[in-house]
Amino acid sequence: MKQHWWKVLGVVLVFYTIIWGFLGEVPARFILNESIRATYFHVTMWFSMIILMTASLVFSIQYLSKGNRLADLKAKETASTGVLFSIIGLVTGSLWARFTWGAFWVNDAKLNGTAITLLIYAAYFVLRGSVDDPQKKGRLAGVYNIFAYVMMLVFIGILPRMTDSLHPGNGGNPAFGQYDMDSQMRMVFYPAVIGFALIGVWITTLRIRMQKLIWKKEN
Amino acid sequence: MFTQVYHIFSLSMRLEWRKKQSFIALFLYTLTTTYLSFLVFNGDVSKETWNAVFWIVMLFAAVQAAFRSFENEASRRFLLYYGLVKPQVLVLGKTLYNFIYLLSIGLFTTLIFTFLLGNEIHNLGAFMLLLFIASAGFSAILTFTAALAAKAGDNPALPAILSIPLLYPQVLTLSRTSIRALTGFSWEFNAPYLLVLLMMAGISIALSYLLFAYLWRD
Repeated sequence: MKQHWWKVLGVVLVFYTIIWGFLGEVPARFILNESIRATYFHVTMWFSMIILMTASLVFSIQYLSKGNRLADLKAKETASTGVLFSIIGLVTGSLWARFTWGAFWVNDAKLNGTAITLLIYAAYFVLRGSVDDPQKKGRLAGVYNIFAYVMMLVFIGILPRMTDSLHPGNGGNPAFGQYDMDSQMRMVFYPAVIGFALIGVWITTLRIRMQKLIWKKEN
Repeated sequence: MFTQVYHIFSLSMRLEWRKKQSFIALFLYTLTTTYLSFLVFNGDVSKETWNAVFWIVMLFAAVQAAFRSFENEASRRFLLYYGLVKPQVLVLGKTLYNFIYLLSIGLFTTLIFTFLLGNEIHNLGAFMLLLFIASAGFSAILTFTAALAAKAGDNPALPAILSIPLLYPQVLTLSRTSIRALTGFSWEFNAPYLLVLLMMAGISIALSYLLFAYLWRD
């Protein structure tokens, strides 16, 4: 039980998010209104995704320097959970956009950034799929992962700041800035980030354990 | 080290020059695609379209061009390089070669575009500078992904899949900036964009310099 406390914490925090995300008080903002609650379920996905992708980067670096197979597996699985989170983020964002902007998809710097992030990580998995030798696979994938991560950072970190975005907090839009999330929202938002990230880690460890069992069976 | 880089560069140049059809094929590629857009747009091209089509043609020509940089290198020649130079030297030499290659393709494409779709360029100096930075950034990423694809085996779609998403940030910034070179360019206003472009090219070169050693070793 000792090493499972964080799983419990993750579940508790996610339930806390769901309950207080829907019941808690939110500030009434122009246009956004109640849809501001999407912050808890949409923006947290991006936070968790970045955490997972960063972990994947660290494991890739570890694999390149040490060369153990487990690090490569961890890199792969954290990346795939990250992709899962980004897909959820896209879907939730798309639904939210339909009701606030009037369209499921618009040409916005942040949307493009996430679409490209997905494409990059899809390419990462295609690259993995096209190499058979596990060592070579790990090395090529690790190298691409590092390259991809840096480009992703450039895309979602720097470019949106140079152009106007429809997103709240950019270019004179309301919400998700220092002013718009009041302290009550923050009480839900930050625990939500931690909760979802922990759930992501849990999913990843399950998949890693499964692959380890497959390896064991093969030997 | 710089002489070694230069040697790799001139070696690649001479190897390519020996088989001129690859150069010619690529120039033909840009010519046909540009002529196709001329036909499709029926001669009626706005500045925005000119700009968009230019960068798309340029991007695909660049992918085609750079993808070949490790294709000819049979595994035996890799062994030869392995004994002779450090991997960093090899990647810099290849990148330099691709840079010159892409720059000449870019100039050629500009020429063809001006000829077929009309001269839309307002500030030629700015446009040339953008072409220069674009070639540097493209060549860094494309050389690296070409090496990755060559190592990963013969999946013909792989070079495009691997490189194009990585090139998006550059292409997006380039097209946003170069539209202003077509309409009216203000150096003060565009300085941050140029800096970001230079920074992206710099990061790409640095990454391929650092990571190529891991990629290369078998």
